Amino acid sequence: MSVPFKQIVAYIDGSESSMTALMYAIKLAKEHQAQATAVYVVNTKALSDLVKSGIFVAVERDEYQRDLYEDADRYLRHAQHLADEKGVEIDTVKLEGSVHVVVKELVKSLGADLLILGGVSDIRSRRDELASETDRMMRTAPCPVLVVREDDDIWDEFER
Amino acid sequence: MNVLEALEKDLIKVPLESSEKYAIIRELVEVAAQVKGYDGDALLDAILARERLGSTGIGNGIAIPHAKSDAVDKVTMVIGVSKIPVDFESIDNQKARIFFLVIAPSKEASAHVELLASIARSCSSGIFRRMLEQAKDADEVIQLFME
Repeated sequence: MSVPFKQIVAYIDGSESSMTALMYAIKLAKEHQAQATAVYVVNTKALSDLVKSGIFVAVERDEYQRDLYEDADRYLRHAQHLADEKGVEIDTVKLEGSVHVVVKELVKSLGADLLILGGVSDIRSRRDELASETDRMMRTAPCPVLVVREDDDIWDEFER
Repeated sequence: MNVLEALEKDLIKVPLESSEKYAIIRELVEVAAQVKGYDGDALLDAILARERLGSTGIGNGIAIPHAKSDAVDKVTMVIGVSKIPVDFESIDNQKARIFFLVIAPSKEASAHVELLASIARSCSSGIFRRMLEQAKDADEVIQLFME
């Protein structure tokens, strides 16, 4: 780990909380003159699990996969746009697989010193199968993790 | 998104009143329409269109009718438990008693997929399924997921 941070990774999934986390990451990267990376993971693991469990038929899996790839492109373009607005260099990375597994690999391969996430759930159940992908990333990340709470102030400050 | 994030007491109906597949679907859709003010006809059309591709009865007494529809503004899940086993044309030919209706707007594909996967994981335990089947009301369903 280095302070100030040199390599910051923000995970985005299209949720409002992940976009808040991205804004925070861009602001932090600017202040620390760090390299920022925004990553979106097309959750192909979940898609194949849904086919295996009989919830999705193959044609439906293909349709959702296309939707997820389109979402990835749209949100990563948005990430690029936000970073450009603040004059921050950002790499946008689209991956596929099991979210927490591929994010962990990316963080390792980049030697990132901070992973920024939004929307970690409140602990409402001890049952592991109810953990969200964000919870899993937080638990398995090989670097410090910063969890950004949903907060209008971050959006306001970003727009200033 | 996981089951707990989508869980809402008002969107749980125990017991369901219907005892036939399409009546169950309509009953679940009505819950979403009444509680959230969604267009019930649009939801029903989307769910039935998906059901025509193949039954969403996934076996072990569980059915997960689901669809994309921009008639909802966020991912919405309705849970229903029936006292009577219902023929849902499930893949294992077993009748179903536990139903998860999931509808998501097209812009929330990621959350939709995650929620469906979370339902599948949480219902993979036979003990959990049996406890869910025996739930008497919405509070008991919530408590089971919270434990």
